Amino acid sequence: MNVGNKKTVLKMKEKRQVSQAVKDELKLFTKTKKAILKALKDNKKNVPELSEELNMPTDRVLYFLMSLQKYGFVQVDGIDDMDEYFYYKLKDNG
Amino acid sequence: MQDNNKVKEYDALVIGAGIAGGEAALNLANVGNRVLLIDKDLTVGGKMIMLSKVFPTLDCSACITTPKVSEIARHSLITTLTSTEASDIVQKDNGTFEALITTQPRYVHIEDCTGCQLCEEACPVNVEDEYQYGLVGRKAAFIPFSIASPRAAAIDIENCTLCGACERACPTNCIDFTQTVEKFMIECKTVIVATGFQLFDPTLIPRYGYGRFKNVITSMQMERQLAPTRPFNTVLRPSDGKIPDNIAYVLCTGSRDKTVGTPICSQVCCMYSTKQAQLLMGALPMADITLYFLHIRAFGKGFNEFYAQAQSMGVEYVKGKVAKITEKEDGNLILRYEDISTGKVTETEHDMVVLSVGILPNQGITGLFKNRKLELDQFNYISQSNPLESPATTSIKGVFVAGVASAPMDIPDSILSAGAASSEAANYIRQLSVKQVEV
Ligand SMILES: Cc1cc2nc3c(=O)[nH]c(=O)nc-3n(C[C@H](O)[C@H](O)[C@H](O)COP(=O)(O)OP(=O)(O)OC[C@H]3O[C@@H](n4cnc5c(N)ncnc54)[C@H](O)[C@@H]3O)c2cc1C
Ligand code: SF4
Ligand code: SF4
Repeated sequence: MNVGNKKTVLKMKEKRQVSQAVKDELKLFTKTKKAILKALKDNKKNVPELSEELNMPTDRVLYFLMSLQKYGFVQVDGIDDMDEYFYYKLKDNG
Repeated sequence: MQDNNKVKEYDALVIGAGIAGGEAALNLANVGNRVLLIDKDLTVGGKMIMLSKVFPTLDCSACITTPKVSEIARHSLITTLTSTEASDIVQKDNGTFEALITTQPRYVHIEDCTGCQLCEEACPVNVEDEYQYGLVGRKAAFIPFSIASPRAAAIDIENCTLCGACERACPTNCIDFTQTVEKFMIECKTVIVATGFQLFDPTLIPRYGYGRFKNVITSMQMERQLAPTRPFNTVLRPSDGKIPDNIAYVLCTGSRDKTVGTPICSQVCCMYSTKQAQLLMGALPMADITLYFLHIRAFGKGFNEFYAQAQSMGVEYVKGKVAKITEKEDGNLILRYEDISTGKVTETEHDMVVLSVGILPNQGITGLFKNRKLELDQFNYISQSNPLESPATTSIKGVFVAGVASAPMDIPDSILSAGAASSEAANYIRQLSVKQVEV
């Protein structure tokens, strides 16, 4: 069914409140996304390097980085000499 | 076929659209029965559609599931409803049933969604993706995964900020926040219960550290890491993105363990762990893979050969009971176990641990039936009232069970079990038509 109206969300807004936890999570993701994309702007980096630069635990960096990879913002760019960590860069034409 | 003009009379109601329910629905429809196939999830396919490859043939699981799933979607006699559950099932004196069907709002009109993902792109939210078992994020406007059926978006209203971006981006105007819960009654002649299983929750064994130690993951999380639609670019440690090179498996996590309430064998863990070990040897040729086991149960056709193949590839099998896992500062894990061949308590270090979690029956199925009692067996699976002669028969005449809802089993056995359930159900429908049923 084509609802023919791009504003049905207004009806939901009358019924539902967005929780503080959802707002906080959105803020965190927006901030982290910006920071990761900025950190990768000039140089490819791996998770430990990004963790240091963003001052964020490595597991959280991986989670956000892989989400950004899924959404088409970043891609793999080789691996370190020890074959331990991949490097990631901004996606070509991304 | 998704059908909005819901016909209220069906020959069969199939509850659960995993491989067992899907197969049973197809079998019934192929002999001319009208089937309502429902699943509480956003997509059909159950667990199988999420697997990487299948033992012992190593066929791609998605490649087997997808044609089945599209056959179900196209079948003119099958109506499939996702986000849907049945309740208040009543058996009438003539042996037929009526049931209340409840569909939760998806906030997307499935028939008009082209799966273009523009809503996903527009949505600013990122939350844990349950279809990747939390390893990566997804949007609040999202298609569950690329081979989901229906391949249509859904809005996760709990995590939605109500910004309206998805709705503005949708080219077909099929996002609809005014959708509400839909309820309607159906009548049917038979019911097949194919509600499958849930995974054992490993936080119930705190000494293994799941949930606290990032590099302790479940076998389902590894299954996703090995699948073509994987969360990461390859198999990686969740703690820091390092490529693991020394992975341990702890078999029987939450199976054959009375202390956590699951006394029986889950039937599939030995073989899926052996499968994953072989796939890991392919994905990470330099990695060491060790399986800690109590007994290896390789009872099916080709299973023992599959086990031998893993050993010849270099997978190490250690007969040992893992007592405890501790974490080092670098994220590596120390396994303390009793080596059963020597009787000695030993410690080894690994950089990732996979818990081969067991299978548990889904709860709450008996509550769906109102005037008849669907009995459970001592392990809380649906009781098979005549397991030798008629394995799909339950305590209610006209209600049949298929797949893991009746006992732990693998995919081939689930398909066989669906065959039994559908032929018993077809027979019951025929008996009703000639009034040979006494209830
Ligand atoms: C990690 C792992 C790896 C595996 N690997 C293999 C393998 O390689 N080879 C193999 O043969 N087997 C494998 N298996 C086993 C295999 O997954 C099962 O045999 C198979 O998926 C069982 O199918 P099913 O349809 O019975 O159950 P499920 O797949 O659980 O499907 C049940 C469906 O019912 C739905 N449902 C539940 N309750 C309700 C309700 N109340 N109302 C509506 N819908 C409901 C669920 O949403 C689900 O879609 C593996 C299992 C695991 C855990
Ligand atoms: S309305 Fe909700 S689902 Fe749609 S884009 Fe905004 S946050 Fe995402
Ligand atoms: S809901 Fe609209 S934007 Fe989203 S996938 Fe469907 S058609 Fe595309």
